[in-house]
Amino acid sequence: MIEFRNVSKKYDTGTEAIHNVSFKINKGEFAFLVGSSGSGKSTIIKLILKEEEPTSGNIIINGKDTTFLKPSRVPFLRRSMGIVFQDFRLLPDKTVYENVAFAMYVVKATPKHIRRQVPMVLSLVGLANKAKVYPNELSGGEQQRVALARAIVNNPSMLIADEPTGNLDPNTAWDIMELLNDINLRGTTVVVATHAKDIVDKMNKRVIRIDQGNIVRDEKGGYDEV
Amino acid sequence: MRFNVFSYLIKEGFKSTFKQKKMTSASIIIMCATMFIFGLFFVIGENVNSVITQLESEQGIQIFIDEDATDTEVETLEGQIKSIQGVNKVTFVSKEDALNSMKTTLGDENLFEGWDEENPFPASYFVTLTDLSLNEQVQNEILKLDNVDEIASENTTINRLRSLANGIQITTIVILALLIIISIFIIAYTIKLTVHARRREISIMKYVGATNNFIRGPFIVEGIIIGVISAIITLIILGLSYNAIMPNIGGSILIQEMGLGLLSFSDMFSLVLTVYLVLGVGIGVLGSVISMRKYLKV
Repeated sequence: MIEFRNVSKKYDTGTEAIHNVSFKINKGEFAFLVGSSGSGKSTIIKLILKEEEPTSGNIIINGKDTTFLKPSRVPFLRRSMGIVFQDFRLLPDKTVYENVAFAMYVVKATPKHIRRQVPMVLSLVGLANKAKVYPNELSGGEQQRVALARAIVNNPSMLIADEPTGNLDPNTAWDIMELLNDINLRGTTVVVATHAKDIVDKMNKRVIRIDQGNIVRDEKGGYDEV
Repeated sequence: MRFNVFSYLIKEGFKSTFKQKKMTSASIIIMCATMFIFGLFFVIGENVNSVITQLESEQGIQIFIDEDATDTEVETLEGQIKSIQGVNKVTFVSKEDALNSMKTTLGDENLFEGWDEENPFPASYFVTLTDLSLNEQVQNEILKLDNVDEIASENTTINRLRSLANGIQITTIVILALLIIISIFIIAYTIKLTVHARRREISIMKYVGATNNFIRGPFIVEGIIIGVISAIITLIILGLSYNAIMPNIGGSILIQEMGLGLLSFSDMFSLVLTVYLVLGVGIGVLGSVISMRKYLKV
């Protein structure tokens, strides 16, 4: 599903963000990408999204090497991924319903499909009764649920979450994690970049640990286990 | 039901255009002003060209006959000239005719006292052509004939007008270049404001996999709308001012004396409309593409 083969990334500033990284996340897997800030986590996320190009090595997504993917094909690659950020990135002048529908609208979904799909994902994330509310009327946890609904509304085969609980209190964070787990149980591959130790420990999933651009550990378990 | 791309572009394009009302109006005004100046030179140029064509159609060749030629030789010459291909009409201008015509032109009989006895003007033939492009060819044929002293077909009026037309053309091109640069800049800036205001939306669109063309489309429509509105407003203003000013110029003594007609705005309407629309749409598209470049890199 997501495979890195000896991937290195050096930015124009000269800093090498990741060095010779290889890993493979299979279809339907749930994996944490952990490490302190500046460890290279974000770079890996950006490389998966093809926001950045690797300096060397190959990245294979859904069986396709994206290294030489034409820029015009990148939008179609991204339609196979749902993306969630730490800062939610909702549109403040659109309601919850419209925020989710927007993601379908811009990939040219039909109005009929949108009317059927949006209420379904909203009830999946537990916000069926908040469809007409604006994001600033919601709590942080609720806003992240909207972002999650938006990420999965187009039925992507994988969900990439970059510090999804970074702005949330521990209880809310845990709710979001459980939701990510639910989504994973429905068959979606989930990759979560985080440095929330408690959550990683509690979830007991595969952990890929990055330190100074290298993978220092890749196994099931808690945040710190060696 | 399929996703309706056309209605998406129109709807989002108009929405985007009228979100930044002040800036949109400002860019329409600036585009109108530059397009108007360009249009002014364009229609003047068209008129000068039309005058040149009118004058050219009356242009002929003056053949001065050798003073020593006998009457028979002069008659033979007429026959020879008529037989040259491309010659339309041959008119004989006697020495007296030439003198009289000069008298009328200068309007003062006294100046020519005594000239009747010693007339310095040579007799000539005035030849009009069936086709102006044959001018040089016909002149060469005439020069081969006997009893031809010299020929003249230089028309200083046409030459002066030609250099005027060249000047106008160069000015028009310079103004056009300025118009294009200024307008692209102002449209790009206007659209950049809308793009900037919607950068969050655009970045989300990129992340959920909207194509660049889908994102760019409404902004290109916005550019086209600004361009087309400017084109139409300028066309109306130009037409009104032209119709207000031209009767005064067209009625002037100079133009009437020469028997020349100026173009009416309706003669040029479709040409000016086409030029304006092409410019408006082209500038609109270019301006929006330029303004979008930075924001599509995610």
